[in-house]
Amino acid sequence: MPDFLTRHIKDPGQRKLATAVQKGAYEGLRRALTMSRQEVVAEIDASGLRGRGGAGFPTGRKWSFIHAREGQSVYLLCNADESEPGTFKDHYLMAFDPHLVLEGVAIGAYAIGAHQAYIYLRGEYASVAATLGEALSEATDAGILGPNCLGSDFDLRIALQLGAGAYICGEETGLIQSLEGKRAYPRVRPPFPAVHGFLREPTVVNNVETLASAARIMAEGAEAYTKLGTKQSAGTKLISVSGAVERPGIYEVEMGYPLMEFLAHEAGGIPLGRRLKGIIPGGTSVPILTADEAAPLTIDYESMQSAGTMLGSGGMIVFDEDTRMPHALLRIAEFYAHESCGECTPCREGTGWMAWVLRRLLAGEGRPGDLELLLRVGDNIEGRTICGLGDASVQPVRSFIQKFRPEFEALEPAGMDWPAWQIHGHGPRTGRFGPPVEEAARSQPVEGSPDYVL
Amino acid sequence: MLTGEGLREIETTRAQEDSSRHALLTALRVVQRERRKVGPEEIVYIAGLLGLSPAIVEGVARFYDQITDTPTGLHVVRVCRGITCYLRQSERIADDLKGFLGIKDGDTSPDGKFSVRLVECIGDCDHAPAGMVDDRFVGPLDEQALHTIREI
Repeated sequence: MPDFLTRHIKDPGQRKLATAVQKGAYEGLRRALTMSRQEVVAEIDASGLRGRGGAGFPTGRKWSFIHAREGQSVYLLCNADESEPGTFKDHYLMAFDPHLVLEGVAIGAYAIGAHQAYIYLRGEYASVAATLGEALSEATDAGILGPNCLGSDFDLRIALQLGAGAYICGEETGLIQSLEGKRAYPRVRPPFPAVHGFLREPTVVNNVETLASAARIMAEGAEAYTKLGTKQSAGTKLISVSGAVERPGIYEVEMGYPLMEFLAHEAGGIPLGRRLKGIIPGGTSVPILTADEAAPLTIDYESMQSAGTMLGSGGMIVFDEDTRMPHALLRIAEFYAHESCGECTPCREGTGWMAWVLRRLLAGEGRPGDLELLLRVGDNIEGRTICGLGDASVQPVRSFIQKFRPEFEALEPAGMDWPAWQIHGHGPRTGRFGPPVEEAARSQPVEGSPDYVL
Repeated sequence: MLTGEGLREIETTRAQEDSSRHALLTALRVVQRERRKVGPEEIVYIAGLLGLSPAIVEGVARFYDQITDTPTGLHVVRVCRGITCYLRQSERIADDLKGFLGIKDGDTSPDGKFSVRLVECIGDCDHAPAGMVDDRFVGPLDEQALHTIREI
């Protein structure tokens, strides 16, 4: 397996500055500081590095959007919120090679002209933040970071911020809001963060793995990176695999590596000789693949796209033949219902509805047309929200129902004569997690009675 | 209301940043850690400390899952119910754990030592069913782990 990013991650003492430097830490930063900002951006652009947080946006291009006017401060925010279910790669990267992450942050900051960078970690990663914090003060004391980084005239202050438990803080504008001490309600774009970000100043938000990759690219040169991977997906990707596999964990794979080979060799196959039922390739926000769909795919952006899904965060979740898909989907739907921040009505209400309809189907209280209702609620969320959480919540619901339909149909009672409006009309009215009240409302048509239950 | 260490942590953050609003998240975390809740009294205290309106502090406090308005136990045990852990029976494990720690109603033990909370994915999926005690990852939550937790 390639070890472009994880070469020293298992070395003992890698968290200590002396050991890390011996192994080549901060060489990428040293090289970057001898170049102009534009040259660093051009080098990352040439490497073909794409954002590793999920969206896969070209990193060099993102950096090139920053044009600070006189008197403006520029900020680099490192997104270490990592809350996508099934994703735990940044956790390991920060915990075992903190200097690589810090080096990446410094390079990113230099490239965009930021003198202040923040690493925003999810609240659960307090122990990781402690490790990072120790590495940061060691590197600052050694003059590598801080004022006059490595003896250059580049000043950089890096600060760590811990979150307090909200998935939406991983959304880039949600992260900015949270860092500003607000509810993490995502912002309407445009204006994009590159123009109007943290404290209304030009801001770049990059994922941990992206910045760590940038550090290695600056050390080895863009060419070393483009030699790896495919044409549209250069380099390597960290895959965090969990679920029905023998060896769950983090693996660095070269882009273009066959998915089935990865499952069989790296992940050790499926326990107890069971068969594969489905794979979510990049966190629960991307559509699931059936075993047949997954068979010919390779691990890279374009192959996943050709199958109608996404590489996403690389948080791979494997389901074996014993998995009851409706139960799994309910859990996923509950996640989005819980984590919807409540800013946009379609998502706030819709995610709760999807979970609630699934719950009643599984409780044996389903109604004819419930599957169509689920899909229709999804259609009414998608594309109608400020951020991607709404869209993300629809992907698992739609793909699970579409691809494992018989299991869902078995839950749906047939032949009952429900009024059409109740199936295809506006449906039962309910509070976010409340029971249906349309029967009660119809049998007691009292003026002014509340039509919802909280 | 806070220890000197907690106050210093808030003041350091505040001094480094351009606006005191920025220190709010840190302040909420520190108060939650030391007081085990951020109730009305704490909200007024933080508002005074940072020069913000209590309404703003409350609005932000109630947004975040780890900031609670009722006191948690001395140790907070988080049991992950993310999809991977859920498929490894983590909800049942949380129930077992509650019984094991003598928690009958709600999620805090009568002696106030433990709170057990089912939480969304905590990012430790290769140790499913994953769990945390305070800031420490303790998965997989097998029988041995349950004993370790009880002995804390």
